[in-house]
Amino acid sequence: MRPFTLNYAFPRPLPIVVTPYSFDESLQLNVLPDGRPAVTDRDLLLAAGTTTSTAGSQTHFDD
Amino acid sequence: MTVLILTSEEDVTADMVVARLHEAGAPVMRLDPADLPGKAVLSARYAHGDFEGHLSVNGRVLSMGGLRSVWVRRPGEPAAHAAHSSAWLTAETRQALFGMLYSGSTRWMNHPRNADRARLKPWQLRAAHLSGFAVPPTVFTTSPRLARQFAEEHREVVVKSASGPPPGDPTLALPTTLIGPDSDFSGVAAGPALLQRYIRKRADIRLTCVSTRLFAARKTAQPDQVDGRYGDTGHTWEAVSVPERVGKSVHEYVAMAGLAYAAFDFAEDEEGFWWFLECNQSGQFGFVELETGQPISEAVALWLAQRQAGRGQQWRGRR
Repeated sequence: MRPFTLNYAFPRPLPIVVTPYSFDESLQLNVLPDGRPAVTDRDLLLAAGTTTSTAGSQTHFDD
Repeated sequence: MTVLILTSEEDVTADMVVARLHEAGAPVMRLDPADLPGKAVLSARYAHGDFEGHLSVNGRVLSMGGLRSVWVRRPGEPAAHAAHSSAWLTAETRQALFGMLYSGSTRWMNHPRNADRARLKPWQLRAAHLSGFAVPPTVFTTSPRLARQFAEEHREVVVKSASGPPPGDPTLALPTTLIGPDSDFSGVAAGPALLQRYIRKRADIRLTCVSTRLFAARKTAQPDQVDGRYGDTGHTWEAVSVPERVGKSVHEYVAMAGLAYAAFDFAEDEEGFWWFLECNQSGQFGFVELETGQPISEAVALWLAQRQAGRGQQWRGRR
């Protein structure tokens, strides 16, 4: 029998998020292609959605 | 003295704090337990009644004697990136890493022992009651009869997962859902169900607590919106002040839970009253800071780097 709570689960397409930044081991944070820390680009982070609560839900149980 | 951040490389919310620590000149080591063993190296020596421990990654070395604080953010599973990963290797690596970190004397945001308890939704509700929050009537049950009885009593109830969507399938969404007493409750026997009286809300509130500092944000809800995490309401998060009564309860809650950081979710009802929904001990804050400009990452960095704990001393993980 299917657990009751899972009756309310549904599939959803994952947004294709291309993050134009990569981890810099020396700085210990993600940087843009021009070398600036990704966190300096507020609009980019908001658009990427990687700081939202549902972003956490996909990979982690704390959101 | 170094701040140790346990998180994945992709965690740009952690970047916000790392950048603040860099600005303050505070030494930091960022390590993903998934990279141990392999990219990261660990050594802990217990001999002659003494203890020495070291971690190294990406050319940095951290001695346990020089550890100021640990921030458990979004760590991967220990050994997840190992060449021959296995459940056993994860367990062994977890023993080595956290056993070593527990052996030292440091401050935690948050201590894993406290975090484990704080994640438990039923415990959260009890702690919220004891802290003076208003909590919607809630039932956890594996009895279809009791579930139906609860729904008949409250008429409009929501069902939600206590632990989040099933792991391993990121395409599966499991939002909080409004149901009525005419639902088929037979499936409750197959797994614990969390049912809660529906609060008709006019806004979602996210209150982020960093030690003694509180940052509340409000987002107007659409009429009949149930789960604020799903769907675009067209509204954004805005900073709001914290009612004195709520602030007092937050401080009591985090003291009881032994948390240095917590993100509270409330539903603001049509009279403007805040109802406690849950407390995420490692809840996201990046989206709140980006939309409201509240200096949450700065508060986290300050707590992690500060020499003296002050009031936060109680959160060292002694509970």
